Amino acid sequence: VTGSLGPADVVVAGAGILGAAAAYHLARRGLRVVIAERAAPNREGSGTTAGNVHVQAIHTRRPGQAVPVDSERFLPLQQAASQRWARVEDELGTSVEYQQAGGLMVAETEEQAAELKAKGEWEAAAGIPTELLDGRAAREVLPALGPTVVAATWCPADGYANPLLVTQAYLAAAQRLGAVLRPFTPVIGLARRGSGWRTLTPAGHLDSAAVINVAGPWLHRIAALAGISLRLTPVAIQMHATVRGPTLLRHLLVQHIGRGLSVKQVSAGNVLIGGGWPAAGLAEDQRPQASVASMAGNVAEAIRILPPLAGLRLLRAWAGPLAATPDEMPVIGPVPGAPGLFVASGTYAFTFAPLWGETLAALVAGEQPPVEIRDLGPARLMEGDQFAPLA
Amino acid sequence: VTEATNPPSHPTLESPASPTDHTSPSTYDVVVVGAGPAGLTAALHLASAGLSVALLDEQTGLGGQYYRRPSPAVLARAGDHRPAGSRLVAAVRAAGVDCRTGTSVWGVGDDQRTLLTCASTGPAAAGGGGQVTGRYLVIATGAYERVLPFPGWELPGVTTVGFAQHLAAADGVPVGRRVLLAGSGPFLLPVACSLLRLGVTVVGVAEAGRPYRLSGAGLSALRFPARLAELAGYAAQLARHRVPLWQDRVVARADPDAPGQHVQSVTLAATQAPAQPLAQFEVDALCVGMGFRPQAELPQLLGCAMVTDPASGDLRPAIARDGQSSRPDVYIAGEAAGIGGARQAAAEGARVAQSILTREAALPTTPHPPTSHHQPAAARQASRTNRRHRRQDQFAALTSRLYPPPIELATRLTQALPGDVRVCRCEAVTAAQIRAAASPTVPSGIDAGTVRALTRAGMGPCQGRECAPAVGALCGTGPVAPAQPRMPVRPVPLTAIAALATPAPDPMPTSPMPVNTVPS
Repeated sequence: VTGSLGPADVVVAGAGILGAAAAYHLARRGLRVVIAERAAPNREGSGTTAGNVHVQAIHTRRPGQAVPVDSERFLPLQQAASQRWARVEDELGTSVEYQQAGGLMVAETEEQAAELKAKGEWEAAAGIPTELLDGRAAREVLPALGPTVVAATWCPADGYANPLLVTQAYLAAAQRLGAVLRPFTPVIGLARRGSGWRTLTPAGHLDSAAVINVAGPWLHRIAALAGISLRLTPVAIQMHATVRGPTLLRHLLVQHIGRGLSVKQVSAGNVLIGGGWPAAGLAEDQRPQASVASMAGNVAEAIRILPPLAGLRLLRAWAGPLAATPDEMPVIGPVPGAPGLFVASGTYAFTFAPLWGETLAALVAGEQPPVEIRDLGPARLMEGDQFAPLA
Repeated sequence: VTEATNPPSHPTLESPASPTDHTSPSTYDVVVVGAGPAGLTAALHLASAGLSVALLDEQTGLGGQYYRRPSPAVLARAGDHRPAGSRLVAAVRAAGVDCRTGTSVWGVGDDQRTLLTCASTGPAAAGGGGQVTGRYLVIATGAYERVLPFPGWELPGVTTVGFAQHLAAADGVPVGRRVLLAGSGPFLLPVACSLLRLGVTVVGVAEAGRPYRLSGAGLSALRFPARLAELAGYAAQLARHRVPLWQDRVVARADPDAPGQHVQSVTLAATQAPAQPLAQFEVDALCVGMGFRPQAELPQLLGCAMVTDPASGDLRPAIARDGQSSRPDVYIAGEAAGIGGARQAAAEGARVAQSILTREAALPTTPHPPTSHHQPAAARQASRTNRRHRRQDQFAALTSRLYPPPIELATRLTQALPGDVRVCRCEAVTAAQIRAAASPTVPSGIDAGTVRALTRAGMGPCQGRECAPAVGALCGTGPVAPAQPRMPVRPVPLTAIAALATPAPDPMPTSPMPVNTVPS
């Protein structure tokens, strides 16, 4: 390890969408930001996600899920995130293909239809407009829906942004404001130094008052460098894209209340099929591989719900990592007992990225964040009071 | 550029693909992928020794590119241009090989050994998929033609040399009446001669390098008299027909007779200055080719160790002398492991078969135990094929010394490319767009993957097969091979994928379960 890599007020670990958004908002406040990224920016979860901006409530009961997402708590955050997305393109001065084409959450059984009704009440309370449709009405909205759909909720606010463009746009804007991006610079050490932190990389060290750890599936490893244990589980899920096809879905986001399915058609005409199906594994330094079993299962569900997809060909399948919390809720906030160290990760990081970027910058500046996040902090992921400052 | 790698749409001698609707894998001793010289030879030796062999190919007939069988009409009119191919195909059929033509292998199952297939052509191409597996896999998928973009490369009448060769040799159809061939490598010469035989006016052959002189490297070619004589024979034919053979020349541009119409003229330039026109020629067809690249997606998907060729930047599987990959049950034969021509491919097919048969003979119990006297015979045969193969390897090495390294050519020619030339045709991405994304002034940490994501170059239906060398050269990063192999190898009908779902999908949750989290 050589000498100092230069002055920094804040070091951001990870150039995914959260790191890029945080760096932008920090740089906008005039802070000197250095982003340390172990590989190329936007390469992992942020660049492999489907790009959904989820506004209506998501699955509350999924196969194998021990703890349901707390939709009542979650929905106001989704509403705030959606409103935050509306300003992103103006702020960054470029298109990220953001659009609010709306979305349908479908049900195939009466039990699932009842769940749609229940979530509609929470959505109304959060100020999110949704409309409950029967199968016939849903097929009027989207004729491509198949006959097994008995009900659906329509939410005009569901949206999409191109995940290949958003992170790069945030990074470019942050760099215009003076932020320094150091790709291929892994964080290999993190320790208290004076009232701040010393971040070690193979190229040298960075001393800063604050460190934002947004390393996604590797967040807990970087935290562990500072002796902090966080219960985050790296998970690899997979996505599928068809060749370009004629307009079938009007760019709507189609999801299923009871199954792992999310489908949409992007501007280029490719249909993206996902829904959280597991990939074949997650290795530390390698992309996880797509699983054929998940590919087959996910594609079969997509064709059942949207039969016209049967005429398309699959162009690509890929897998990407994300970090799962034990309670399915996002994690964001200061690490207790480690002043100046902040984390953000967990559920729907893409949807929340613009909001979390602004929130992290406010936390670093000691200001009130735009939304209440005190209950979302990392304390609940820490096993006991195990953090001891390293002198 | 019209390519030769797509399955032909015309009917052939082969019966149409049998519907590949097997839901559980068909199992063989050996599955051979690719029915060119390497795959045919391997399948013949293996089946003749009593092993059960499946031979898969996405073309509608056996033969691959080199031994592609002429249509019945062409056979009747012009005879068989390569009778050795007919004999080999007949022997493979007589040996009882299960020939599954019209079958694309698009992926590898989660068990890392089952090959996933779909019909590549015909009415079944919209239907279901199949699965096939073997105790041994022989990958003999051959090569892609290497093409680099230039202004006008998308015009009608501009084809690859391989496509022109198919039209000429297998179908007896000339690609044009006044044809210029340009590119690099020994393949330009026989294609020019095939065109001459059809009465075509070959305007000239432009070679980017300076291989045709008695340099030190050229002299050492004398150690390979058969191959040298072959090349010299082609050169003599061209000379007899007064066809100019220009060296150190590349295509600067091709122009149409009217905007967007058929190619009408070709402008050549010196290789060192591709943007400065030297001479213009009237043509009605232009055939281009910069040699070949290994078609190595399947070994990569199978987890075989891969190496990058320093001269070409191409990814190919690392193999032992006997063609064995880093996976003991996966062998690579022919140009999928490196470019060497049809003769070398056939020799490698034989060598792979011998290696497998030697292993089988050593096994105490096999489903088809070879009789004990096979063992020394197999060893003798292996020794012969090894000797032959060393000679072929040396010729391949000589070829790479004679012709300019592809990576250098790609860098030089793409640097000179005007910004408005489309480099990735699937996604309509221009050279200027790729340069902008790769420019160090773009405030980002740039690598080839980032350029790909920002521009969509290489993300269309050809999945970068055609444009990867040019995109990589424009990025200054070397070819843009995806770091990880990705399925599907070919775009595959969603129905063929859904057919693999087990158990049949129903509205209730079934295994495999989605994980607790959903994509953001």
